[in-house]
Amino acid sequence: MDEITYLIYIISFVLGSVLGLLLSYKKYNQPFVTKKIDPVALIISIAGWFLVLNSALLFFLPSFVSISLGLFLVALVLGMRPGYGRYETVFGILISAVVWLALTII
Amino acid sequence: MNLMANILLNVLIAFLIGSLLFGLQRKVMARIQTRPGPPIIQHLLHTLKFFIKESSFPYTAAMPFYIAIASMLCAIWVSAVIVGPVIEGSLLLFFGIYALQKIVEHNAGSSSGSPYGKLSCVRAVFSAAAEVPLFAVLVIIYLQTQTMVISDIINYQAVNGPLIFTIPLAALMFFVLILSKSPYSPFAITKGKDIVSGYETEHFGVLRGYLMISESIAWYMLLWVFLTVFIGPLGILGYLVGMVAISVLIAFINSITPLLNPNHSIMVQITFAFIGIVGSLVLMLVM
Repeated sequence: MDEITYLIYIISFVLGSVLGLLLSYKKYNQPFVTKKIDPVALIISIAGWFLVLNSALLFFLPSFVSISLGLFLVALVLGMRPGYGRYETVFGILISAVVWLALTII
Repeated sequence: MNLMANILLNVLIAFLIGSLLFGLQRKVMARIQTRPGPPIIQHLLHTLKFFIKESSFPYTAAMPFYIAIASMLCAIWVSAVIVGPVIEGSLLLFFGIYALQKIVEHNAGSSSGSPYGKLSCVRAVFSAAAEVPLFAVLVIIYLQTQTMVISDIINYQAVNGPLIFTIPLAALMFFVLILSKSPYSPFAITKGKDIVSGYETEHFGVLRGYLMISESIAWYMLLWVFLTVFIGPLGILGYLVGMVAISVLIAFINSITPLLNPNHSIMVQITFAFIGIVGSLVLMLVM
C-alpha cells in the first residue's frame, strides 16, 4: 500500500512538472533575464509546499491527498522553463518550513 | 499484494525515480557550470519522446540481434528490480545481472555495425575488467555478514548498525561503481562524447527508448542496493533522501571532472578496487 501511495506522489510530481513546463512556455516569451517574482507562481509555490510539509494540519483531508496535491503544485512551479520559478520555490520552502518549525516547537 | 502487481509497481517506481534523478543530476551539473540547465523532467520526456519517433534500422545492423539486445537490457534490469525490492533475494544474483549488463552493453555496440558502437564495444570489455573487480565488494560484505541474501543483510544491520561504518572501504568501492554508471562520469568511457553516444549511437526510436528506460532503472537499482546494503533498513522517505543526496554528490563530481581516457579510467577504477579489497581485509583482521 505504501508503494502505491509513493507511485501516486511521483506521478503527481511528474504531471505537475509537465504542465508547469507547458504553461510557462506559453506565459513567458523570453528567457529568464528580468529576474522578477511572479505573484501567481509564488502563491502556487507557497500553497504547494505548505500542503507537502504541513499536511498534518489539514485534518479534514487524508494526508496522501494533500501531499499529492501539494507535490503537483510544487512541481508546477519547480518545473517551469529554465530560470523561472526558482525564487518562488525558495520562498515557498522557507515559509512552509517556518510554519512547520513553529508548530513543531510550540 | 499480487506478485505481478508488486513487480509492475516497483518497475514503474524505479523507472520514474531513476529518470527524475538523472534530470536532477543534469540540473545540478548545469548550475555548477553556471548554465540554467534543462528542467528536472527533461530526461523522462526525452525517454518518452523516443517511443513516438520513427524507428529505423541501420543497413549494417546484425539482425535480429540488434533488436533483441535492447529488449534484453530492459529485461535484465527488470530482473534486478525483482531480485532487489520485490523479493530481497541474493546479492550474487545481482552480481550476475551486472555482469550480464556489461555483456549486453558490449553487444549493443557491436550489433549496429557503426564504428562508434564498435569502439564503445571494445571499451565495454575494458571497463568490465575494472568494474567486475569493484563488484568484488560482495565478498567483503559476505565475510562481514556471513550472508549474501539482502533481507538477511538488512537484519544484520538492524542489530549491528550500518555496514558503511564497519566496512567503509567496501562502501567506497561500490560508490565508485555507481559513479562509473552515471552519465558524464569520469569513468563513462563507453558513452564518452568522443564516440558520439557510444553503443547507443545507432539505436533509434523505440529501441533507444528501451535503452533509456533500462538506464533509469539501472540507476535506481544501483542506488537502492547501495543504500540497502550499506545504510540498512530505510523507509521510503529515507531511500528518497539517500538517492537524491548521492545523485547530487555525483553531479558535483561529474561537473568538475573531465572524462578520463580509457587507460586512465581503468587504472583508477582498479586502484580503487585494490585499495577497497585489501584495505577492507586488513581492517577486518585488525578490528
